[in-house]
Amino acid sequence: MAAGFKTAEPLEYHRSFLKENCRPDGRELSESRTTTLNIGSISTADGSALVKMGNTTIICGIKAELANPTVEAPGKGYIVPNVDLPPLCSSRFRPGPPGEQAQAASQFIADVIESSEVIKTEDLCIDRGKLCWVLYCDMMCLDYDGNILDACIIALLAALKNTQLPEVTINKETCAPEVNPEKRCGLHIHKHPVGASFCVFDDSILIVDPTAEEESLSTAQLTVVTDEEGRLCSLHKPGGTSLSGEKLQECISRATARQREIQKLIDKVIHSVKTAQ
Amino acid sequence: MKDTPLSNCERDFLLKAIEEKKRLDGRQTYDYRRIKITFGTDYGCCFVDLGKTRVMAQVSCELVAPKENRPNEGIMFFNIELSPMASPAFEQGRQSELSVKLNRQLERCLRNSKCIDTESLCVVSGKTVWQIRVDVHMLNNDGNLMDASSIAAITALCHFRRPDVGIQGEEVTVYSPEERDPIPLSIYHMPISVSFSFFQQGTYLLVDPCEREERVMDGLLMIAMNKHREICSIQSSGGIMLLKEQVMRCSKIASVKVSEITELISEALQNDKAARKAGGRCGFAESMPQERITALKTDETPVETTDATERANDIVQRAEAPPQTVPSPVVPVPGVGQVGQQNTWGLEEEEEEDEEQEETRMEEDQDEDEESGGGDVVEISDSEEEEVVVLHPETTGKAKNTGSSSHQQAAAASQKRQKK
Amino acid sequence: MTSSACDTASPRCSSMMEVCEASSVSLREFGCEQSLLSRPDGSSSFVQGDTSVMAGVYGPAEVKVSKEIYDRATLEVLVQPKVGLPSVRERSQEQCVRETCEASLLLSLHPRSALTLVLQVLHDDGSLLSCCLNAACMALMDAGLPMSCLFCGVTCAINTEGEIITDPTAAQEKESRALMTFAIDSTERRVMMSSTKGSFSVHELQQCIAVSQEASEKIFQFYRDSVKRRYSKTP
Repeated sequence: MAAGFKTAEPLEYHRSFLKENCRPDGRELSESRTTTLNIGSISTADGSALVKMGNTTIICGIKAELANPTVEAPGKGYIVPNVDLPPLCSSRFRPGPPGEQAQAASQFIADVIESSEVIKTEDLCIDRGKLCWVLYCDMMCLDYDGNILDACIIALLAALKNTQLPEVTINKETCAPEVNPEKRCGLHIHKHPVGASFCVFDDSILIVDPTAEEESLSTAQLTVVTDEEGRLCSLHKPGGTSLSGEKLQECISRATARQREIQKLIDKVIHSVKTAQ
Repeated sequence: MKDTPLSNCERDFLLKAIEEKKRLDGRQTYDYRRIKITFGTDYGCCFVDLGKTRVMAQVSCELVAPKENRPNEGIMFFNIELSPMASPAFEQGRQSELSVKLNRQLERCLRNSKCIDTESLCVVSGKTVWQIRVDVHMLNNDGNLMDASSIAAITALCHFRRPDVGIQGEEVTVYSPEERDPIPLSIYHMPISVSFSFFQQGTYLLVDPCEREERVMDGLLMIAMNKHREICSIQSSGGIMLLKEQVMRCSKIASVKVSEITELISEALQNDKAARKAGGRCGFAESMPQERITALKTDETPVETTDATERANDIVQRAEAPPQTVPSPVVPVPGVGQVGQQNTWGLEEEEEEDEEQEETRMEEDQDEDEESGGGDVVEISDSEEEEVVVLHPETTGKAKNTGSSSHQQAAAASQKRQKK
Repeated sequence: MTSSACDTASPRCSSMMEVCEASSVSLREFGCEQSLLSRPDGSSSFVQGDTSVMAGVYGPAEVKVSKEIYDRATLEVLVQPKVGLPSVRERSQEQCVRETCEASLLLSLHPRSALTLVLQVLHDDGSLLSCCLNAACMALMDAGLPMSCLFCGVTCAINTEGEIITDPTAAQEKESRALMTFAIDSTERRVMMSSTKGSFSVHELQQCIAVSQEASEKIFQFYRDSVKRRYSKTP
């Protein structure tokens, strides 16, 4: 009966739960799904992390390569994020070139990296105007169940914290770079941006960490990214029904709490790896 | 989106009118529609209105490595964008037959005619040259896109200024417009395309066909010519046979039209130069018609901000403070952490049939957990650091708070009841 | 280790500093022309200072089967850059404009049909996204599509001194430390869309929203004036 109701009237089905201040999966409105983090999941990558939020699974691998800095910014390296939504993660995605959602997500992650200054691109420069690091951050969705932006940011942050770059020296005689894979050091992470996504139901009800179904039924979505100082790195609301300043403030408060939660999680996991070694 | 098809009676009407030497907009056979040339704020930005047809051309430049077989020559790149704004029949990002045809014709008209001195675009031989890129955007298609594009492209090229460069050895410095005045391109001549459409297998001829006429025409002849009456390119399409005399006659008409249009372009360039020299505002913003009822403009308007600060303070103060304490994450094994109540590491199935399997699996997991907890990690992965160990739901559930997990179970149970 | 995460976060302290009495908050001169293209069902070109965007709307018309939605119209938004082909940046702008338009248009009145909105950038001198939104709204109005509310775009920049600048030019955008674009609806003056760059405090955000809401009044008044000019007997 309930299954039939759910398929025939998905919106009514969700509304009946929201009326009771809970959601079909048993969560409260302002409750995130269980977030599980594993770092160093890919041994061949320079840094990696796997994040699972409910069913949504994102794996992030970081590949560092040596390159020439651009002419405009000789003292800077660069970071190239890419979000991949392959057909394996959901039936809604088709094979072929990245769709609009994947492109918009990649752009959003790039904006967050730039806005939050999680890594200063100056740190990636090895020899001014000659040599720098390029960090290719590939985020792949393995299971799509909504809220990929949050999961991507967590995966990216954890993977960056896990990244170990080899030492590079420049041979004075040949001017060729020499990589010493034995000696590695971590990246300097300046900020810890963490996102919190929300969905708006029926123009007024805010829910946290939406699933794919909730996303498709909602009238608006927004993502708030905050760092550890409580500053905002991004307030991304691509459209949908309008929200007042007060409502946005509620979202921001929730996002700051989420930031602390996740930063603690990342720190603890990183710490556990260090002590285990 | 599909274009609205032309009805049979419309077609008959148009053809009949052409037979009677009449055109829909009241023009004579050899008349061009009104041409209007305006410039944007940037150098190298030009709008051309040909009747209701409207196109925009923008020239840009970039330092690139030259082609291997031509180390001393700059590169010209042309791109005609058939934006869906111009007509519903145009599709974004798809190479249609029309766009290939227009691009090819523009290249022949402007690149192959060698009207631009590409050698002057060389910076360091074999190393760096300027690439000049011409983007032509169609804004409104009311026929004869080719002529409008060719006028826009050549005018934009004439209008364009590239930044000056200094060379010290191998180092190339690009000067900003403030440091050194930008330099115009050197253009030898201005080829302009003129289109002729033929009806009834070449019996009737019209210059500058509009969109309706283009739909009923049998063939098209495009002649690109400069004001010295040199033909730069000639192309006939649509599969009609033309007599030698017809082509000769067309080229004569073209020479007249080209000299008129060249005159107009020089005048427009002159006017713009004078306007820029006078230091007045120029560009698109100024070209907006003021007298039309569909257009409106306002001056700079101040915004009241006195109560903005107050309102912001108010909202921030009234908002609930985020909780200062956060739940502590659980780290069952090094490298894995979890926060939140539910366990979704793929273990919890609500179906009862699975329960037996579930239990055996759980036992296995427990073993695994114990093993890894003991510190002797010997299995599966080559990674020295850690591996994903499937978590046990109960260990985390207990570690968290039992209260909420019982609430979870209750919720799950109620769900199950509903399903039945 | 565990307590450090809590100590570092202090959202309140930031609200005391950075309170800025913005002195020169104004919108550049702006203008709009509607129905300037013959082919589209609705068209407009919106000018803010030197920034200028042209918009064309087609529809409601026949929809491709693959894009058909059974209970409402499919809206497609395309942003065409001035130079080169659309890139990822244009994609994210398209997403912002599309979802804003979807929220204000009454799409359920035209089920199984297609709407296309094409935005052509004519010149970018800052506040491009807000200009796109304004041009889009004017074009939708010109096309006579049923809407539940109007919307307008306002861009705010915060410069290094912490002052708010509305409708910044490209040069001001470059020097700013944070940049925010909001779409405000006409009925309740709430935030329909938000897109930000750079980091900023909560207080700065709320201030920018309040300023944008004030600025939106001016733009909505302009919308009203231009409609009045078009449809009244004595212009």
